[in-house]
Amino acid sequence: MNPVTQIVARLGPAGYVFQAIVASLLGAALLLAFIMGRRAARRRYFGRRDARAQALRRQLPEILAGRILPEVWRRDPLDDRILEEILLDCMEVAGHKETEQIRYVLRISGLLDRRIYLSRRRRGWRRVRTLVMLGRMRCPEAIPALAEGLDDENEQTAVAAARGLGRYGMPEAAEPILERLEQGRLRLPANVLQSALYHCCRERPSMLLLAIQFSSDEVRTLLARVLAEVASAELGEDLVLLASDPLPEVRASAARALAGARPRLALTALQQLAADPEWFVRLRAVVALGMLQDPRAIPALLETLCDRNRYVRLRAAAALSRLEGFEEEILDRAVHTRDRYALQALVGEMQRSGALLAVMNRLADPPRRESARRILLAAVRAGAHRLLLDAILHHPNWRVRTQAARLLAAAHDPEVLRLLRFHETTTQRPRERVVLAWLARQVEKESGAKEECSAEHREPAPAEETLQDAPPGPAERAAREGVSLAPKRF
Amino acid sequence: MNEMLRKSITTLNDGLFLYYLGSNLIYLFLLIFAIRASVIHQRQLASIRLERYRASPFSPPVSVIAPAHNEGQSIVQSVYSFLSLEYPAVEVIVVNDGSSDDTLEALTREFRLLRTDLPYVQEVACRPVRGVYMSQTEPRLLVVDKEAGGSKADATNAGLNIASSPYVCVLDADSLLEKDALLRVMVPVLSDPLRVVAAGGIVRAVNGSVVEGGQLKKVRLPRRFVEIVQVVEYLRAFLVGREGWGHFNMLMIISGAFGVFRRDLVREVGGYRPAAIGEDFDLMMRLHRTLRVNGMDYRACFVPDPVCWTEVPPDWKSLGKQRSRWQKGLVDTLWLNRDMLFRPRYGRIGAIALPNLWLYEALAPAVEFTGLAAIGAAAFLGILSRRFLMLFLLFGYAFSTMLSIGGVLLEEITYRRYGDWREVAKLILCCFAEHFPYHHMHLWWRLRGMWQYARGDVAWGRMTRVGFGGALASRAVQGWRTGKQ
Repeated sequence: MNPVTQIVARLGPAGYVFQAIVASLLGAALLLAFIMGRRAARRRYFGRRDARAQALRRQLPEILAGRILPEVWRRDPLDDRILEEILLDCMEVAGHKETEQIRYVLRISGLLDRRIYLSRRRRGWRRVRTLVMLGRMRCPEAIPALAEGLDDENEQTAVAAARGLGRYGMPEAAEPILERLEQGRLRLPANVLQSALYHCCRERPSMLLLAIQFSSDEVRTLLARVLAEVASAELGEDLVLLASDPLPEVRASAARALAGARPRLALTALQQLAADPEWFVRLRAVVALGMLQDPRAIPALLETLCDRNRYVRLRAAAALSRLEGFEEEILDRAVHTRDRYALQALVGEMQRSGALLAVMNRLADPPRRESARRILLAAVRAGAHRLLLDAILHHPNWRVRTQAARLLAAAHDPEVLRLLRFHETTTQRPRERVVLAWLARQVEKESGAKEECSAEHREPAPAEETLQDAPPGPAERAAREGVSLAPKRF
Repeated sequence: MNEMLRKSITTLNDGLFLYYLGSNLIYLFLLIFAIRASVIHQRQLASIRLERYRASPFSPPVSVIAPAHNEGQSIVQSVYSFLSLEYPAVEVIVVNDGSSDDTLEALTREFRLLRTDLPYVQEVACRPVRGVYMSQTEPRLLVVDKEAGGSKADATNAGLNIASSPYVCVLDADSLLEKDALLRVMVPVLSDPLRVVAAGGIVRAVNGSVVEGGQLKKVRLPRRFVEIVQVVEYLRAFLVGREGWGHFNMLMIISGAFGVFRRDLVREVGGYRPAAIGEDFDLMMRLHRTLRVNGMDYRACFVPDPVCWTEVPPDWKSLGKQRSRWQKGLVDTLWLNRDMLFRPRYGRIGAIALPNLWLYEALAPAVEFTGLAAIGAAAFLGILSRRFLMLFLLFGYAFSTMLSIGGVLLEEITYRRYGDWREVAKLILCCFAEHFPYHHMHLWWRLRGMWQYARGDVAWGRMTRVGFGGALASRAVQGWRTGKQ
C-alpha cells in the first residue's frame, strides 16, 4: 500500500470527502480538457474549411465557366462539400443567367446525380438532409426524386420533400403535391403544404382552381387558402363561382382571392359575401372590400359596421378609415346609423390609422380648413373628444390648437364639458389647467341655453369611463354569444 | 422505546435515500431525453429556412404583450427590442400597470403617444383601464394605461383584452428578445397550427452582458457568484428540465418572460388569474385542464433556440425573495389543482407530471429539512453511520453536479452563447460549488415561501434591480415582478 492510500484509509469516513474533492477536481479538469479539446478541434476544422472556402470562392468564376474541371475539386471530399454549399448559396441570390451556369456545373460535376441517388438510397435524417440539398438545387430532373420523398413514411422526410418542391417555385413541382392531395395520400401539416403550393402555383394559379373541384373538403379548404394568396386576373370570373361554394372556409378564401385578382364582378360578389351567415366569411369579405379601395363599397361597409360580430365591425371600420377623401361622408352616414358601437369602432380606427390626425393638421391650412372642420365635428359627435383635447393641449401648431378649441366649443355636446371638467381636476400641469378652464368657460358660453334645451330631448351620452369600463351592451353580448340581434340604437 | 426510535430513524433514512434516488433518476432520465430532443431539434433546424417564414403570408399575426410596472429605466429599450422583432405581422402592446415612476412619460416622449378612443372590451378580468395610447411614430405600438392591479397577471389580462391577433406572445417589459426569437418560437406553431397551442423559448440571464439600443451586443457571464449560479440554474432548468418534459408533451410551465399562446384558448380559460402568485404556471395548468377535459389533441412545446434575455436578481436578498415567491406560486397552483392528481381524464399530466411536481418540487424542501433533522437525531442517538452519511451526501452531490454539468455541456455543444473558454470554466466550477452553501440557502428560502403561503402572506415585496448593461445605479423598485423560471 503506498503512503497516499494509507493516509486516506486512516482518515476513515473523512477519506470519502477527500476522495470526492479529488474526484471533483479531476472531473472538472477532464471536462475542461474535453471542452478545450473540442473547441480546438473545431477551430482547426473551421479554420481549414474557411481557408479552402476562400480559395474555392476565388476560383468560382473559373469553375462556373468550366475552365477548372470538376474532376479537380471533386477528388477532395472537403472541397466537394464546400463547393456544393457555395454553389447552392450562390443560387439563392443568383440572377437567371448565373442560375443556369450553376445548374450546368451541378449537372456536369455529378453533384445532382449523386444527390438524386442518395435521396433514393438513404433513410431517416440522412435522407432528409439530402432532400433539403436537392430542393436547393432547383433542377427539374430532381422533381421525381423529391416526389418520391413525399411518400416516405417518416413525416420529417415528407416535410423536407414538400419544402424542397416548394423551393422550385415552378408549376411542375406543384403537380406531385396536388396529385397526392387529390388522392388523399398526403397528410402533412397544412402550413408546409400551403407554403410549397404558394411558391409553386404563383405562375399558374389556375391549376389550384382545377384541383379544388376534384378534392375532399379538407383539401379544398387548404387549396382555397393558397389560391387566396396567388389569385391573379387571369382567373377572371371563375373566382366568382368559388364565392358561392358550400364550404364557408372556401368562400372566405374566395373573398381574399377576389380582392387580389379583382375580376369585373368582384365588388358584387364581395358585397354578397359581406352578408354571409358565417362571421369569418363576412370578416374576410370586409377586409377584401377594404383592399379594393372602391367608394362604391361604402354602403356595404357601413352595413357591416353595424354587424353583430365585434371583429367584423372593427375590420369594417378599418376598411372605411382607409378610404381617403370620403371621411366626411362616411362619418355622417355612420352617425346616421345611430349605432354607438359602430361609431366607436369607426372613430377608433380612424384615429389608429392616422386619418383623423391628418385631417386635424389640415386645420392649419385655410383653404382646406372648412372641410376638415366638418369631418372633425362629425368625429367629435361620434365620440372622438380625446383626440381634439390632446391636440388643444399638445399640438405644436398654434393654429391647429386654436381651431381645435373652437371646434370643441362649437360641438354643443354636454359630454365635452364633462370631459373638460374631469381633466381640469385631474391634470398635474398648471398650464393645462388654465387652458382647460378657459375652454370649459367657452363651451358653457357657446352652448348655453341651447344645450339645456336640447338636453331635455336627448338621452345622456355615455360617460368617459363607461366606454371602457361599462358592462357589455346587448350587441356585444350577442356578438360573444353568437346570437343574432339588431344593432343597438341610442 | 429506544429501539423503536432507532428503527424509525433508520427507516426514515432509507426512505430519504430512495426519495433522492427517485428524484435523481428522473432528472437523469430527463437529461438523456433532453439530449435526444436537442439533437432532433438541431436536425429539424437544418431543414428549415427561417426566411421563408419571415416572408410567408401564412404566418399568423402575433400580439406581443409586455406588462410594465415601474420600468421607466428600461422600457424604451425594451420596446425598441420588441419592435425590431423579425416577424411578418407584430403588434406590440405595452401595459402600464399603474406605475409610480415615469414609465408612461418615457414612452410618451420617445414614441409620441397619443391618447385615443380605441374600443376596449373587457373579456377577461382586470383592473380598470385609464386610457389607450397609440404612437404617432410607430403604428404597431399600443400602450394601455391601467390602474395598478398588483400583479403581472392583471396587467397581462388588459393586454389580452385589446390584442387583436390570433396568437399572443407574453413577455416581461424588462426583457430583451433576440431579433429572430419570435420567429423561432413560432416555428412549431407554424408547422402544426392545429395541435400546438403554446410554445415557450429559453430565458437567459442578461447580467454582465453588453446591451445597446435595445439589442444585446455581447454575451458575457456575470461576475458575481450569485448571478453565475443562476445562469447554471437557468441552463439546467431550461435545457434539461423543459426540454425533457416538453419531449413527452408534459410541459407544465411556459415562462412568463417569454411564451406564445393561442389567444382564443387563453381567453377561454379566463386569462391569467390576477390573484395567482405564479401566473405563468397557473395559466398552463388551466390550459392543460381545459384541453384535457375537452379531449383535445394538443401540444405545448419548448423551443430551445429563441432566447429571451432577462435580468436576474443581483444579490442574495432579492434572490431569496424571488425563490420564496416561486415556491409560494408553485404550492398555490398545485394546491388549487389538487383534484387533477391521478385522475384518468387528465392523462399523463395527472398521472406523471403533477405527482412529480408535488413530490420533487413542492415537498422537496420539507423532505430535505426532515432529512437533515433525521441525520441530526441519528447523530444525537449515536446511531449515525458516518460511512452511510458520507456516501449519501456524496451520492447526492455527484448526481446533482452531473445534472448541472449536463445543462452546461448541452449549452456548450449546441448553442454556445458563451464564447470565451474561461466563462465555460467558470460555469463548470460553479456546478461543483453551487451545493454549499447555496443549496442550503435555497432550501431555507423555499421553506420560508411555504411558511409564508401557509400564513397567507402572498405579497410580491421589493426587488433590487440594476438595469441593462449594469451601468445604471442599483435601486429598489416597489411592485410586482415575475417568475422567470
